[in-house]
Amino acid sequence: MADRMRNAVTSVTNVVFPPSKSATDPQQQHLMKSGLDYVSSLPLQMALYFNVFYYPLWLITCIVGLQAKYEALSVLYKIIIIAILVVMTVVEIIRLSLGYIGNLTEKVPELAGFWLLTLLLQTPLSLFLLLNEDTVILPLERAVHIILVIFVIFEVFMGYFAIRALVNHQVTKFHLQQFTNLEEISSEEYIQLQGGYRHEHRA
Amino acid sequence: MAVLNGLVPARFLTIVAHLVLIIVLFWSRGDNVQACLPKYYTNTEYERKDTQLIIGLSVSLGLFLLELIGFIGGLSMFLPTQGFISTFSHASAAVSLAYFIQDSWECDTFWYIFSFCSCLPAIVEIIIFMGVCCCNR
Repeated sequence: MADRMRNAVTSVTNVVFPPSKSATDPQQQHLMKSGLDYVSSLPLQMALYFNVFYYPLWLITCIVGLQAKYEALSVLYKIIIIAILVVMTVVEIIRLSLGYIGNLTEKVPELAGFWLLTLLLQTPLSLFLLLNEDTVILPLERAVHIILVIFVIFEVFMGYFAIRALVNHQVTKFHLQQFTNLEEISSEEYIQLQGGYRHEHRA
Repeated sequence: MAVLNGLVPARFLTIVAHLVLIIVLFWSRGDNVQACLPKYYTNTEYERKDTQLIIGLSVSLGLFLLELIGFIGGLSMFLPTQGFISTFSHASAAVSLAYFIQDSWECDTFWYIFSFCSCLPAIVEIIIFMGVCCCNR
């Protein structure tokens, strides 16, 4: 049961983030260089940087807009919009900090967390705020939501490519590491190993 | 570079503020068009003024695109001159457009705002494009 789950998760991972063919081909390992010294994605970093500055502007506009149209909303949408705003506020902070740390320090788990939060939470929520006419969208809110949706969709695409590049780079480094570890055994250790082997052989 | 560290986000935010107000104007230009017509107006006059305002807003959006390509593409992101010109003009545009919407100014005054605050950064941006492409600066 656990094996089947693991196989399923592995196959899903291989479909969503397919390893590049050259990374899995054992013949090419010794030929391939590990590429750039850094694999952080510049477009993603720029998008995150500007998103961090844009976030307070969006938040204040949303809250002021909500306060202005609160009376005109039905009870259901009052609850829905307040819930969405609270969730988006918290998620955005977590998402942006994860993206920053993941991209700058080239850590895959943080970047993957950022990408999942962006894809699964921010995209539907921001599209909901932009496109659902029942929430009495003010023109000002329309404008700020359009810009937020552009940011979020751009980060989804750029995040995918960044994670793929990062994963390929780390797979390559890992494979190359295995070869360099063998070369680094010093000569004394080698003789010791050989001597020990001969001792055992005679005995 | 220490000066530029604050200039780049400031420039970005003023561009965004100006852009937001232009998009708002697309949806709420009714009061402004009515303000520049006489008390009793015909539908054709209204349509004419409305179309003029829409054209102005659309050209403004196009100039925005031009400037954003230069800014995000990196051509003019780290040039302090263009940074200051851009920040100043977009900030003044944002303030004037806020008054424009709030106080229902005449739609003809939009063209003044447009010429000083949208055209000026775009023209400087085009000059920078020429400089980068032709003279390899």
